[in-house]
Amino acid sequence: MASKIIASTVRRSLSPKLLPLIRPLSTAAAAAAPAEPYDTSAGISMKGVKISGRPLYLDMQATSPVDPRVLDAMLPYFVSQYGNPHSRTHLYGWESDEAVEAARAQVASLINASPKEIVFTSGATECNNISVKGVMHFYKEKKKHVITTQTEHKCVLDSCRHLQQEGFDVTYLPVKSDGLIDLNDLRNSIRSDTGLVSVMAVNNEIGVIQPMEEIGEICKEFGVPFHTDAAQALGKIPVDVNKWNVSLMSLSGHKVYGPKGVGALYMRRRPRIRVEPQMNGGGQERGIRSGTVPTPLVVGMGAACEIAMKEMEYDGKRAVKLKDRLLNGIRDRLDGVVVNGSTERRYAGNLNLSFAYVEGESLLMGLKEVAVSSGSACTSASLEPSYVLRALGVDEDMAHTSIRFGIGRFTTEEEIDKAIELTVNQVEKLREMSPLYEMVKEGIDIKSIQWSQH
Amino acid sequence: MATPSRSEILTLFRSLLRSARQFPDYNIREYTKRRTIDAFRHNKTLSEPSSIAAAFSDGQSQLQVAKRQAVVYSLYAPKIKSIMDIKH
Repeated sequence: MASKIIASTVRRSLSPKLLPLIRPLSTAAAAAAPAEPYDTSAGISMKGVKISGRPLYLDMQATSPVDPRVLDAMLPYFVSQYGNPHSRTHLYGWESDEAVEAARAQVASLINASPKEIVFTSGATECNNISVKGVMHFYKEKKKHVITTQTEHKCVLDSCRHLQQEGFDVTYLPVKSDGLIDLNDLRNSIRSDTGLVSVMAVNNEIGVIQPMEEIGEICKEFGVPFHTDAAQALGKIPVDVNKWNVSLMSLSGHKVYGPKGVGALYMRRRPRIRVEPQMNGGGQERGIRSGTVPTPLVVGMGAACEIAMKEMEYDGKRAVKLKDRLLNGIRDRLDGVVVNGSTERRYAGNLNLSFAYVEGESLLMGLKEVAVSSGSACTSASLEPSYVLRALGVDEDMAHTSIRFGIGRFTTEEEIDKAIELTVNQVEKLREMSPLYEMVKEGIDIKSIQWSQH
Repeated sequence: MATPSRSEILTLFRSLLRSARQFPDYNIREYTKRRTIDAFRHNKTLSEPSSIAAAFSDGQSQLQVAKRQAVVYSLYAPKIKSIMDIKH
């Protein structure tokens, strides 16, 4: 028996080591080989889908490509300046530490905060967890109540669920049909034991901008800490922690053309907000987020924020122009197209449309050459209609047909035109097959149809 | 900082456009081209020598970034082109 175990462990430990010896450097050599000349005839086949080229990218809310200027800032910290920023005893540590502090200042200046109020994390999800759970755990003796909205990102809602299981009370504010919360609702929901109000700035699915200043004002009046998830707002709309009167704010690197895997949490110093750390360890980032700070990623996020500050006006104008082009282009050729969420208070780079009488999943399947999604990437795998659209009171049939077009810094006019053409063709094709559309054209109100005969 | 001459500015403009063309990535290539043209158009009205010099040195450092990144992007260019680059 013992010999058998030894033999199997030997085999197990040997085999992976032997493999590379047989084919030395095979994978590394393939990766390092120069790019082969383009073969346009072959195309790609992935997950059973065949396409002739890489699709045009209109899913900027899921993630954005890294800006070449950001990559340029990051590369030195991958190649030669690899020190641990917490090493206090040598040059490697000092130069990394300096770079991290410079990035902290870049992030802080974009949101009008002090660098001392910025804590680097792994992303907005971690920031939201620290904010919601950390604050409530820290003040749990006196505060038992959290207020949030029904259209928050999953990580805030899930953190709230978690708190509920621990015995905290959570109010999920409903939203109006335009996706905005009712300020009177918020005012009436605040109790003496409310420990946190968490409302996201720009919604990831429908792009509506909540009235941040007014919410901040109400929170100040009642002395309740205000947290906002500004991952989708950073670099796109002006963000000012003092104007908004936020105590905590979650930021993400990869939504502002920075790298994935890095985020920043703003924590107000005056009046001071305190949290219970969700990650314990070496006490980095003032003990709020232990773990080695990833210098290259943090430098990338800093560079992305600096570029965002310079380019916000230029990018913003372009997003508006391209959004109008897309919306008008589609509306000129199709009827029954509805913009989900408020039309006035929204970020232009996020256009969430519902196409009546078309099944959303088949539309997405048909749009192979346009990289779009029906809503958030986190829930795009399920066939369930988006909970955000349901919270808006969008009819079940319209909620199923939503598509989110995300316009970004690198989107071109030609891409928009191509997207219009492909979308219109696909919708027309699907409507031709749809008996519902035929009935509507004949003048039958489909809401009056009795589908089942129970 | 000395004020750059007209020909120096034009050389910078052309170099930026040339390095934009080196990007194999459709979106980055178009962006670099568009951003260069728009930035020069935006700065056309500058008259203060110091602001002209500042804009010029900013452009020069952008050119260095573009040159470096065009190399990096071509090293890792995907085998399949963007559908925007495929002529139908």
